[in-house]
Amino acid sequence: MTWLILAQLVNGIAIGMIYALMAFGLSIIKGLLNIPNFAHGAFYALGAYLCYSAIKAGVPFLLALTLAAIGSAAVGLFFDRLVLRRVKDGDYLPQLIILFGVALVIEQCLLIGWGTIGLSAAPPPLLSGAIDLGFTLVPRYIIFASVFSALVISAVWLLIERTRLGAFIRAGIDKPHMAQALGINVDLLLAFGMALGTGLAGLAGALALPLMGATSTMGGDMTALAFVVLVIGGLGSLYGAIVAGVLVGVVQSLMTVIAPSASTVIIYVAMIAILLIRPQGLLGER
Amino acid sequence: MASEPESAVAVADGSAVAAIEAPRRQSGLVPTLALVAAVALLPFAIPVNIATEIVIFGLFAMSTNLLIGTAGLYSFGQAAFFGVGGYAAGYLAARGLAPLPVMLLAAALAAGLLALVIGAFSIRRTGIYFMMLTFAFNQLVYYISYSWHSVTGGEDGLAGIKRMPLDLPVIGQLSFDNHLAFYWLSACIFLAGMVALRRVVDSPLGMVLTAARLNPRRTASLGYPVHTAQLIAFVMAGAIAGIAGALFGMLYRIMPIDSVHWVASAYVVFMVLIGGTRSMLGPVIGAAIFIWLQGLFSLVWARWPLLLGLFVIVVMLFLPGGVLDLVEKARHWVTRLRSRS
Repeated sequence: MTWLILAQLVNGIAIGMIYALMAFGLSIIKGLLNIPNFAHGAFYALGAYLCYSAIKAGVPFLLALTLAAIGSAAVGLFFDRLVLRRVKDGDYLPQLIILFGVALVIEQCLLIGWGTIGLSAAPPPLLSGAIDLGFTLVPRYIIFASVFSALVISAVWLLIERTRLGAFIRAGIDKPHMAQALGINVDLLLAFGMALGTGLAGLAGALALPLMGATSTMGGDMTALAFVVLVIGGLGSLYGAIVAGVLVGVVQSLMTVIAPSASTVIIYVAMIAILLIRPQGLLGER
Repeated sequence: MASEPESAVAVADGSAVAAIEAPRRQSGLVPTLALVAAVALLPFAIPVNIATEIVIFGLFAMSTNLLIGTAGLYSFGQAAFFGVGGYAAGYLAARGLAPLPVMLLAAALAAGLLALVIGAFSIRRTGIYFMMLTFAFNQLVYYISYSWHSVTGGEDGLAGIKRMPLDLPVIGQLSFDNHLAFYWLSACIFLAGMVALRRVVDSPLGMVLTAARLNPRRTASLGYPVHTAQLIAFVMAGAIAGIAGALFGMLYRIMPIDSVHWVASAYVVFMVLIGGTRSMLGPVIGAAIFIWLQGLFSLVWARWPLLLGLFVIVVMLFLPGGVLDLVEKARHWVTRLRSRS
């Protein structure tokens, strides 16, 4: 039992890193555009389907991941320019409904393009097989997915914390009007934020493809999950999403061993508890 | 929020008066008769099951708008009450346990009780936090319904729901197995719900809700029991959503698990916003458009949600006040033309 739990822990960290990648993108969009991206799961699904096609076309796996991220970012940018910038300063309920409409459009386009049957792709030969950790066998791909997610998150973290562009982004999140007054092109910044956020969602979907496959319902479920992660981490906190993502992944994986029927419910219970006790989330500040 | 400029408060107070006056203007004799006539003629103009769905979802959307439009509480979890009402009534009816009034009462009670619990927790938070709480509770109810197979039927839905007959003292027994007869039942409940909701909106409770939407701090500091009023509204909306759910289960004789999912909550918010939140009729028109378009699109194309999504985006971008805004704009246009000639 102990070994099983340890194995699930490793598994949970990998899945959690993918959740963190998702929620980090969602958090950037929420922070910069102040819009709850209810279409986030659709971009995740888009990434998975794009990655599938790239692999089938014989593109090397790493390049397929990159293409999936770029493709999702491009679609995100498209909807940002076409729709979101018109409702950026409005009430959040219409924004939410518009984004839900965007999600419907993307998901149905995926079904038109790729059909209704679930798709799956094997990890590349280099990453298939498993590593013997002594107590359990861990699939190589699981390790790759979590390390890769961690690298991407670190890279985006460096971008935000250490570069000039990152300083603009932080300024745009904290004081959009002041940033505007100081001559930062906030509109361009928002477009970049949307592309970055949706690109991360697409990358997460592409990474998840060999683990969970691509199905028509993956987007809606992931939107709900990404918001749970975001709320648990703190709606205003960029980095809360990372901690909460890993936490949710681990808790979910452990619960599938301890109490399988409660594994999904417990996440929502946690979210409700957080909202009631500490609405700013684990790492949020008030 | 604390340092709101005085002018903004004045504007808010002004629109509060307008918002309270608006429904009264509409509740004249002629519009009421027109509405009743429209409801009476609907099943002869379109397929009767679609008409029944329209009045059922019209009732559901109206109850949701008590929260969204009147109280400014953006609930994203109303499907939980719709579903629980459907399950409660359906469970009784599938076993032939209860006559019709008891079924509907059970639906209202179960959904209302759930709304009391969820509302008591949720209204302590405002804005997006309220929304996320109702959303999370909705998902909780969904997963419980999903795994509680013996009561809800789980993934297969609760099947075998009977349309119980109604025993009336003088008239005798009314059966609703006929589609048109069931439409009349749904339509009567819809109209009753509309009258009840109109009364609530026009009552002192409705005014407290409106005032709290526009300026919660001032309303609370004047001594009005804002939280209590919001909780009452939440329970009331939940109970009516439960009745709508019961009718939905009876219409198709099955309560599918989808109807409890958060996406169903998003759809009812769609309906409310498509129609417009500022009147009682807006959400009903939104529900009618939604159901009608859904029926139309799904006949044409299996990928109909794509068209629905595009429609919603276009309406929200260009008619942020909902389709009823179009009527308002047309009226302005006509008066301007008249004054010119």
